[in-house]
Amino acid sequence: MSLLEIKDLSVEFSSGENAVKAVSHVFFKVREGETLGIIGESGSGKSVIGLALLRLLPANANVSGTVFFQGQDLFSLRPSELRKIRGKRISLMPQNPAGALNPVLKNRLQIEEVFEERGIDKKEGMKKSLRLMKKLLLRDPEKLCDLYPHQLSGGMRQRLIACMSLSFEPELVIADEPTKGLDPEAKERAVELFTKIKHDYGKTMLLITHDLDLALEVCDRIAVMYAGEIVELDKASKVLNAPSHPYTKGLVRAQPRNGLVPLSGQSPSRISLPEGCFFHERCRYSSIECFRKHPEMKNHNGGWIRCHFQSFQ
Amino acid sequence: MDNVFTNKLRKKNFSLPEAYGSQFVKRVFQRKDMLFALAALLLFAGLSVFAPLLSPYDPNAIDLKNKNLTPSEEHILGTDYLGRDLLSRILIGARTSLSIASGVVLISLFLGTATGCAAGYYGGFVDESISRVTDIFLSFPSVIFALTIMGALGAGVFNLMLALSIVHWAKYARMMRGQVLSIKKQEFVLSAITGGAGDFYIIRKHIVPNAIATLFVLATIDFGHVILSIATLSFLGIGLPADVPEWGAMLSAGKEFMRTAPYQTIFPGLAITFIVIIFSILGDGMRDILDPNHEGGEID
Amino acid sequence: MKYFIKRVGFMALTIFAVCALTFFLMNVIPGGTAKLVLKHTFVGLEESVTDEQLNQISDKYDLDDPLYLQFFRWIKEAVLRGDIGTSYVFKKPVLYLLALRLPATIQLAMVSMLIAMLAGVSLGIYSAIRENKISDHILRIVTLFGVSMPGFWVALLLILIFSLRLKLVPVTGYGSLENLLLPAAALSLHSVAAVMRVTRTSMLETLGQEYIRFAKAKGLPLWKIVSRHALKNAMLPVITVIGFQMGGLLGGTVVIEKIFAWPGIGSLLVDSISARDLPVVQGCVLAIVMMFLFVHFLVDMLYTHLDPRIRYG
Repeated sequence: MSLLEIKDLSVEFSSGENAVKAVSHVFFKVREGETLGIIGESGSGKSVIGLALLRLLPANANVSGTVFFQGQDLFSLRPSELRKIRGKRISLMPQNPAGALNPVLKNRLQIEEVFEERGIDKKEGMKKSLRLMKKLLLRDPEKLCDLYPHQLSGGMRQRLIACMSLSFEPELVIADEPTKGLDPEAKERAVELFTKIKHDYGKTMLLITHDLDLALEVCDRIAVMYAGEIVELDKASKVLNAPSHPYTKGLVRAQPRNGLVPLSGQSPSRISLPEGCFFHERCRYSSIECFRKHPEMKNHNGGWIRCHFQSFQ
Repeated sequence: MDNVFTNKLRKKNFSLPEAYGSQFVKRVFQRKDMLFALAALLLFAGLSVFAPLLSPYDPNAIDLKNKNLTPSEEHILGTDYLGRDLLSRILIGARTSLSIASGVVLISLFLGTATGCAAGYYGGFVDESISRVTDIFLSFPSVIFALTIMGALGAGVFNLMLALSIVHWAKYARMMRGQVLSIKKQEFVLSAITGGAGDFYIIRKHIVPNAIATLFVLATIDFGHVILSIATLSFLGIGLPADVPEWGAMLSAGKEFMRTAPYQTIFPGLAITFIVIIFSILGDGMRDILDPNHEGGEID
Repeated sequence: MKYFIKRVGFMALTIFAVCALTFFLMNVIPGGTAKLVLKHTFVGLEESVTDEQLNQISDKYDLDDPLYLQFFRWIKEAVLRGDIGTSYVFKKPVLYLLALRLPATIQLAMVSMLIAMLAGVSLGIYSAIRENKISDHILRIVTLFGVSMPGFWVALLLILIFSLRLKLVPVTGYGSLENLLLPAAALSLHSVAAVMRVTRTSMLETLGQEYIRFAKAKGLPLWKIVSRHALKNAMLPVITVIGFQMGGLLGGTVVIEKIFAWPGIGSLLVDSISARDLPVVQGCVLAIVMMFLFVHFLVDMLYTHLDPRIRYG
């Protein structure tokens, strides 16, 4: 059964007279217990999806479509009902651990507040958090609580955030770019951390990342995003080891261990998207059809792909 | 949201004035509030320049038979305690305020830019001594400071200009110093220094053009403050001689007749408020354009 | 601690410089002082004053000494015996006059500051939360007027409306609460508007931070997010502006006290300047600058207290 079902999700940001199409017509399901990765280059709209699910986008965002979480339509909930889901049943691990922690509040308070507004004893919750922190490779959690965020290292902050998001045992965790801006060593530890979370807790997770190594290590299935839409969705090993879509191929080839061949060109302007396939300007297989007609999602070898030429590959 | 402009500035390291001259004008025209303020300012400036032609009466003509008249067709805004036409006096008062304020802002801008530039560019002892002096000047509530100076110098147009300039220059010096310090670190200045350019050349070609926009914003906002200071001092009777028509002094005279002729206190005050609002809108708008994500909080 | 000492040292330097500045400023017209003293001694008989009498006065106050000697003597007296001179007009020690007048000014300034902080901060928060709604627009226009209207005009308008038309409060007087209402309102309006503006901007910026989004993702209600996460961070620039406002407020007392015949040092200063009562001018300026520096010092301390990043470096 699918825990999360997203139907026709589109997000537009209006600024002045222009509307920037960040996400257009995204469909996918997340099954109970699986880890779904969303990959793509920066600006592909992957982080916007994560924030849109919890209705955390700024006021100038225009969101349409439906999101069902265990059969509940998240977009039609009242604010008070939404608060019961935020952090409790769906939690978010934000992108930038340094920015996500309030610099003027001690860590303890920021951990504790996860348990507020829940009718749960804070002390009980704290105990649970401390146990979790130990498990998540944080040493001396008690001492850590009495410090301010700026006194922690980047890796520690990330673990702390992971702990905050997991301590309420949510049914779904949305992890937004957990390895962004980390140095190689911290990245390795982050991969370790997420493998651990996945194995020890068996959480359903939506992992948004541009780090293909992390995605391959942790994800069961992967959705590839380009210019605001999903272009390929399949099992992780298949997407990353034998990609079908030309864009995914390019993405994989651009990896250092695959020869660091950069994709030429830029992604299209999101204010006026091209009429045909969004990728046709950069696609080496592009033909006249790609220029004229926008491809639909099609079934291909058990996965999904948005390309006119899947047969030819 | 609106980073396009600043990004452009950052990428284009030098020849900044050309880069944003046209951009700046375009942005101003996109903002309705600034256009409105600009039009109002032009109107005010025009009124003050042509005040003698436009005024229905001689602003200093005493007519005791017609004193303290309420607004009527002959005297649109009424007359004061000596029977002088209020509208004519308010028009000519714009002249006083605008010209003194322009003088003060120009002098402070020049003084502040020069000292701030020296402090920021040369650093060391020069910086230390100039900065201490500006700190001391800034730790003096400005009205009190101006009041004391005026007390020593006595009332007069030139004295008032001098006193207010002494009070206001430090703000510019501090801001210029900060600007110079940040500009000095940028590559194009470093490369000019490596290229063997002289100090004066670097200051003239690189530092001043890049810093001046921010200083103009400050000057615009400060213009309003200066007008308020002028009005305050003459309201207290220590700014200008009694025969110079000025809004603050008019208010001060009018307040004696508040019971019977309240319009004498209302109209000059409206004029002050209006012109200060114009400069607030212009200053804020310019700041928004130059620095869309400025950290809130103006000084003073 | 080192910072503290540096700070106190700078304060002492400033006070010294301010004293020197006022002293020399007020004495720029040479030889006039003795005549001034006499003028206040023999009111109406100025014409009959002989040179002999002038010399007597000069001898008595040592006015023939060079200025720097006079200043040096003044400083010596001030530091060693706390004697900062005697008023020419009132023939009383300046310190006594200040002690008599200071409470009224402190009362007025404190109440106005309090109004500015309470009203400014709360209205600013309200305006920020309701960004771009009608109430926000109205408040912004009101603040534009608030920062642009001259304080003395506001005072006159208040008198016109509340004293002369509605006859709710007396025009002048000192001692009771109703006497305080109009002066405090007129004096604080500018600061209320200025504080509100900064609060709004700073609050909006803080509310856009990632830690606010994370706090929302934790399921906290809006009031907790504002009071716990946003307020403390947003207050930092506000506190700086409050410090600067104190200068404007002390400057404003001069004019407001004059209008409402408020017996504080502001009106004393204006009267003394008109009468060229140098020792009193000197004393008033000294008192005002000291108050101003003291408030700035408090603001600095508060700032360091609020921001742990500064505290722990």
